[in-house]
Amino acid sequence: MIDPYYLQQLTIGISLGMVYALMAIGFTLIFGVLNVVNFAHGEVYTIGAFAGIMAIAAFGPPFLVIVFIVLAVGALAGFGLERLAFRPFRRFSDEASLKSRAMREATLMSSLAMSIIAREAMELLFGSEFQTIDISYLINKPIELGPVTIVNGDIIIFVVSVLMLGGLQWLLKYSSIGLSIRAVSNNPLGAKYVGINTDRTIVLTFVIGSMMGALAGILVGLYYGAVFPSMGFIPGVKAFVAMVMGGLSSIPGAVIAALVLGVAESMSTTFVSSVWADMVAYLFLIVTLVFFPQGLFGARRERV
Amino acid sequence: MEISRRNSLGLFLGTVGLLALPISAAAEGPVYLGYQLPLTGNTAQYGQDFKTAAEIALKNFNASGKLKVPVEIIFEDSRSDAKEGVAIARKFVDDDRIVAALGDFTSTVSMAAAQVYKRAEMAQLSQTASHPDFAKISEWQFRNITTQAQEGVYNADWMNEQGLKKIAVIAEQTDWGQSVVKDFAEKVKANGGEVVFTEFFNRGLPDFRSIITKIERAKPDAIYTGFFYEDGAQFLKQMKQLSVETPVYSTSAAYNQKLVELAGPAAEGLFLTVTFLPNSESDHVTTFVDEWKAARDGAEPGQFPAQAYDAVNIMLEAVARAYPDVSRQNVRDELAKTKDFPGVTGVTSFDENGEALKQLTKATVTDGQFVPLK
Repeated sequence: MIDPYYLQQLTIGISLGMVYALMAIGFTLIFGVLNVVNFAHGEVYTIGAFAGIMAIAAFGPPFLVIVFIVLAVGALAGFGLERLAFRPFRRFSDEASLKSRAMREATLMSSLAMSIIAREAMELLFGSEFQTIDISYLINKPIELGPVTIVNGDIIIFVVSVLMLGGLQWLLKYSSIGLSIRAVSNNPLGAKYVGINTDRTIVLTFVIGSMMGALAGILVGLYYGAVFPSMGFIPGVKAFVAMVMGGLSSIPGAVIAALVLGVAESMSTTFVSSVWADMVAYLFLIVTLVFFPQGLFGARRERV
Repeated sequence: MEISRRNSLGLFLGTVGLLALPISAAAEGPVYLGYQLPLTGNTAQYGQDFKTAAEIALKNFNASGKLKVPVEIIFEDSRSDAKEGVAIARKFVDDDRIVAALGDFTSTVSMAAAQVYKRAEMAQLSQTASHPDFAKISEWQFRNITTQAQEGVYNADWMNEQGLKKIAVIAEQTDWGQSVVKDFAEKVKANGGEVVFTEFFNRGLPDFRSIITKIERAKPDAIYTGFFYEDGAQFLKQMKQLSVETPVYSTSAAYNQKLVELAGPAAEGLFLTVTFLPNSESDHVTTFVDEWKAARDGAEPGQFPAQAYDAVNIMLEAVARAYPDVSRQNVRDELAKTKDFPGVTGVTSFDENGEALKQLTKATVTDGQFVPLK
């Protein structure tokens, strides 16, 4: 039979992959599907985590209430982010500006600026160290499954990821808002011409994507018991890699890529020092970009 | 243009005037010490702690009447920046009133400033610089923190006494982490034990589970760890997640009440060495802890402020012994003679390199508290 050691490493890899996938879903919706360059998703994730632990510290509500508070804060953060960093670049509605790549990609800098401001502000407010969280809220209670051990957080994260993924697929394929998101991403000018309210569509996508980002933040924060202002950075990089590997516009692709990434990291720890495990993600990114420029699951389509 | 030229002339004249003044003031005026520390920037919380500790020590010393003249400390903000630290060191050595310097916080800044103190021949005592090479820079450098050369050997002997022979070692991937592993591993081998696993991790690694699984495959009797409290909390929590029960030993770097806050029950049974425990019953400690609590709204002091408190006291004692000839050379010589100083971080002596030799205390976490072991 398989050595239980590898079985345990595989389990850890899958749970690690689910953590990356959780972040990658909202990230891919805004960045990949809507095709808006957004580097502030990591901070939305952090804001979600902080909102959650502040709610816990203030009045210790039940788990589901925290989830709703975090979703509300995430929606607000997404709305605010779009307003401050993205809308100003859509001010000009002449054809040249709408077709301009420079105008679209300028949000790379404005979203990065927002993310730096948000992170530094949180550091000033809370300090850069780990925040203390009520231990009873952590979702890391061990569950023995034969030779391997998982925790209740693994199950929660798995269920939430499946719900998010299923919900989004349904939304994008069958609902009218999903239709307009795809239309705007495909051709913003064309969408405008046929009467789609592009502003509203973009705001809505941000709100949905950021709600998912914030929820991912609090779940991962409680999973590891580690909430701190720069917590969004590494998962952000991993989600980015997963998105590129998955073919930018494919959310299921990003989820599968995230799982591959997680398993590769935990397995590689067996053979090399953990210091090198982070390299795996970057290696995958380079290999994907060189050999599969469309991603592993991407449709052929002109890209940034 | 006009204004700035006039200003710079004024500045120049002012500087000349200032330079002419202080030389004659040395006779019966106060004795001055310099303290360089980060008071702003992202390590400001440490520097602010040192300042509070230094103020408590100074107040008590001046009230005790050990010295006929008062001592004053000039604090300068280095922002944990090496360039800034060097500039402050220059400022201190150029100020004829200052007889010795304390600080800085990090090894990097302390070692940069040390070059200035070495050339100008002024004693420098850091409360926290733990880089193996710091005290070796010259005879003018001293520190009040134990190094891994001392702790590693002590821990290896401790584990040997407990009959733990097969030991896994993990530490963070830094100079400090390397020294944790090196000195410990040598002593384990000398004691007839075996290091069955060694690995380094990047500071801030969120997920230790792969490493823990890997450690368990090596089937060690115990795990020796070189981490600070945040990584420590993550490691211990994830050990518990994976239901791993191997005993964990660590260094004084993991000692922080925050470790227990973050890890909760997972921190129970962690073994580590410490030099300061705020719940100790010795007079020195209770005096310091009470005054600290009064200054800081009831919060307990950690290990670092305690080290700063002792460093300032060691320096003040040296000044008192040097009096009335409080020259820089004399203060350094008296500092070097420090032996069995009874501080809050244990009895301290300096060896010939200016390295603090301290009594280490074995401790463990029980019911969310760090308690000493007999």
